[in-house]
Amino acid sequence: MMFARQRKSLLCLFAMCLGLLPVKTVSAETTDSKIMSLGISVTETVYALNQQHRLVGRDTSSTYPPDVLEVKDVGYIRALAPEGVLSVAPDLIIAEEGAGPRETLDILKDASVEYVEVPNEPTASGIVEQILIVGRALGVEGDAQALADDVAARLADAIAAADAQPQNRKRVLFVLSTRGGKITAGGAGTSADGIIAMAGGVNAIGDVEGWKQLADEAVAVAAPDVILMMDRGGDHGIDNEGLFNMPSIMTTPAAQSKSVIRMNPQLLLGFGPRTPDAVEKLSEALYDPAS
Amino acid sequence: MASDAVVHLADLGRPKDRLQFALKMHVYLCILLICVSLASLTVGATGITPWDMAAALLRGEAPEQMASIVLFDIRLPRLFMGIVVGAALAVSGAVMQGLFRNPLADPGIVGVSAGAGLGAILAIVLGGLLPVWLAEATGMYLVPFAAFVGGWGTTILLYAVSTRGGQTSVATMLLAGIALGALAGAVGGLLAYAADDRQLRELTLWGLGSLAGASWTKVTVTVPFILLALGVAMTLGRGLNGLALGEATAAHIGIRVQRMKNTAILTVAAATGAAVAATGGIGFIGIVVPHLLRLATGPDHRALLLNSALLGASILLIADMISRVIIAPAEMPIGIVTAFLGSPVFLWILLRNRGAVGF
Amino acid sequence: MLLAKNLMVTLGASQILHDVSITAAPGEFTCIVGPNGSGKTTTLKALTGDVRYDGHITINNNDLAYLKPWELATIRGVLPQTSVLAFPFTVIEVVRIGLMTGADAQDGCLALQSLARVGLAHYADRFYQELSGGEQQRVQLARVLAQIPHAVGEDGPRWLFLDEPVSSLDIAHQLQIMSLAEQFARDGGGVIAVMHDLNLTAMFADQIILMANGRILQAGPPSVVLTDANLSQAYGCDVKVGMPPPAGIPYVLPHAARHTGLVATKS
Repeated sequence: MMFARQRKSLLCLFAMCLGLLPVKTVSAETTDSKIMSLGISVTETVYALNQQHRLVGRDTSSTYPPDVLEVKDVGYIRALAPEGVLSVAPDLIIAEEGAGPRETLDILKDASVEYVEVPNEPTASGIVEQILIVGRALGVEGDAQALADDVAARLADAIAAADAQPQNRKRVLFVLSTRGGKITAGGAGTSADGIIAMAGGVNAIGDVEGWKQLADEAVAVAAPDVILMMDRGGDHGIDNEGLFNMPSIMTTPAAQSKSVIRMNPQLLLGFGPRTPDAVEKLSEALYDPAS
Repeated sequence: MASDAVVHLADLGRPKDRLQFALKMHVYLCILLICVSLASLTVGATGITPWDMAAALLRGEAPEQMASIVLFDIRLPRLFMGIVVGAALAVSGAVMQGLFRNPLADPGIVGVSAGAGLGAILAIVLGGLLPVWLAEATGMYLVPFAAFVGGWGTTILLYAVSTRGGQTSVATMLLAGIALGALAGAVGGLLAYAADDRQLRELTLWGLGSLAGASWTKVTVTVPFILLALGVAMTLGRGLNGLALGEATAAHIGIRVQRMKNTAILTVAAATGAAVAATGGIGFIGIVVPHLLRLATGPDHRALLLNSALLGASILLIADMISRVIIAPAEMPIGIVTAFLGSPVFLWILLRNRGAVGF
Repeated sequence: MLLAKNLMVTLGASQILHDVSITAAPGEFTCIVGPNGSGKTTTLKALTGDVRYDGHITINNNDLAYLKPWELATIRGVLPQTSVLAFPFTVIEVVRIGLMTGADAQDGCLALQSLARVGLAHYADRFYQELSGGEQQRVQLARVLAQIPHAVGEDGPRWLFLDEPVSSLDIAHQLQIMSLAEQFARDGGGVIAVMHDLNLTAMFADQIILMANGRILQAGPPSVVLTDANLSQAYGCDVKVGMPPPAGIPYVLPHAARHTGLVATKS
């Protein structure tokens, strides 16, 4: 509060020095405003709602559909540079929860850029809510309602199909990273936990909260039947042989049956319009690997 | 005997006066800093420049809101932050090198930044546990203050471990630095387990090292800390010169050695702590800047400290400009840029000093 | 006058000095000698205020314990046994480090004059670290001489403390440094040196303080202190003063080198 006032007064001081007052303002129009989309699910929803022609910027993680790569990348969603964002001149920013830093958002607010924050809860209702909020922000409520209904229906079907499979529930361990021989995995409340449950699996470390680096023995105790990983390169790209030879994994049922599923992280963890596909695909990989 | 000597002096001419040159360097570096500052206000992803704005004003037009926000709310606080943080890092390096009598001592390399970082992490994660009155009293200053305490503790520990009888063992200093850095990293990792998602996010961001988060709020928190530390540091010149001859000799020429060392340690901790708290880990400024200046103007600390502040500020601003244009509209973390600029120089210093005293 | 009364120094658990009392007069060259571990260097460190001591030291009637470092720096200079320099200072810069702030500005030539006194004015722009050990020691002496340029100041004599100043030097440079110290005493200043070489000591000292086991064995002029009995007792071996070696074995004494040595360094 105090600082805000101070900043204002400083600004006024500079402004007075240069005789800047008064200041013109630019206002955002609603339906053909230029938008910046931050976050995988938001960007995919913008495409699903056919509003991609309005995109002028995206964050680094938004890489689906491939066309979006043509749009200017303003950097990591949590470390946005204010001037970089302003340079693509969006009228409206639609951002997944957690975009930042706060300093940048404050400046964007000052610059009268409309900012809509979209919660990204990894549940079916979370996806619907997300689609509706993005649709309202874009001024296409009707299309958004239709999309939300469609996604909700397909997701319900996919979940029902996954639930209906006759086998025992498989214990799934989502491995985010194996850097330094240490396993970082998704516990309760994470997006990985959400998708595993939807696809009819059981999170092998469902009793752990959040993203955690696991002790070797904890992995053995979790006894996953399947290891779920992201299919991109880097340190996530450990090959199967290396994975199953890790001391922590070696003793698990997953290593004995050599069960590992690799999926595109945007699809798997995005929690957007493509999530029904993700559920189907994961469920299939879990219970019907042959097909 | 003295009269004989005077006769000979006439033939010798005056010896070179590197101090005079170093003092003139203040002026050149001021000019450099002004030029770099103007460039820094001009360069950015939006292409808005102060000149355009000035031209618009001269034509009697009201400036665009966008232009005034970019210039006054984004680039100007960032400029101030770059200047004080660059100066703080370079002066901390110069003071630390004088204190340890070694050109390789640098807050980043010997773990002081890590210690300050640990302080900041503790404040971020455990700040919520403070009693309300204390949290309200400390407010925005909690993180920089905790970083200062962390840096201070680390410096004292480091000095105690690696210095015997006024002589610093470089091997011990570097190894102690590694150990302290690892310890800080370990405690930080431990805290990351205790942190919730929001705090984790803050930690990740903070570790990247960037001037992008510079806001007027942060500037008002950071600048007093650093200016105070730098002001005190500027009084250390003669003492650090004396210390170059060893602690005993420093005392013999009239320096209160213990007091001077304590002041130097507090200065380094405050400047490094505030800089680290404001912008995260930015390496190599502290080692490269004083070294370049010693090559150019000699090691006299009476000029070296202010020159370091000026050149450090300029170099950080240049690194910041690179970081914001190279992949615009996204930004490269500035720590990457300074590491690219700095690590070759660091290796070069090592090579040059191979076999020299104390290595 | 420099007076030390009943000095006691304890380092850790062991007492290094027992009841040491010294009187040194300005205008005199006082040498402290004794075997290794006899406490001579510790005595000097107590006199320069480097170690904690019990007892009483006054310098020009001022209690050492109450003098501020910068006040002390104007009335005495200390030449250490060896010095390691941390950064690439030039010779003239090292000499200027010894000057109080602003002193060089008042007397621009002071540093250079001091260098000339040790015969190194032509090295002013060389890097200190590139000099030989002997040259470095002379630069350090020049630094001390710049700090106390006049043997007698407005408020009394100045004091020069030397800690084994010539141990690592060749005979010509030994003589040069000792002569400079002697000149300082002749000009009215006080000189107190810890010495290893008994011949040089005998040659230059006005007063010799012979120490053993942290105590003073004997103090007085060379002829009184340097006796067979005193030295044998102090050094724990049979010592004969003034006894040339058996015929045919060459021996070199600094006394004989004195004259030519000075000519060589002056030219």
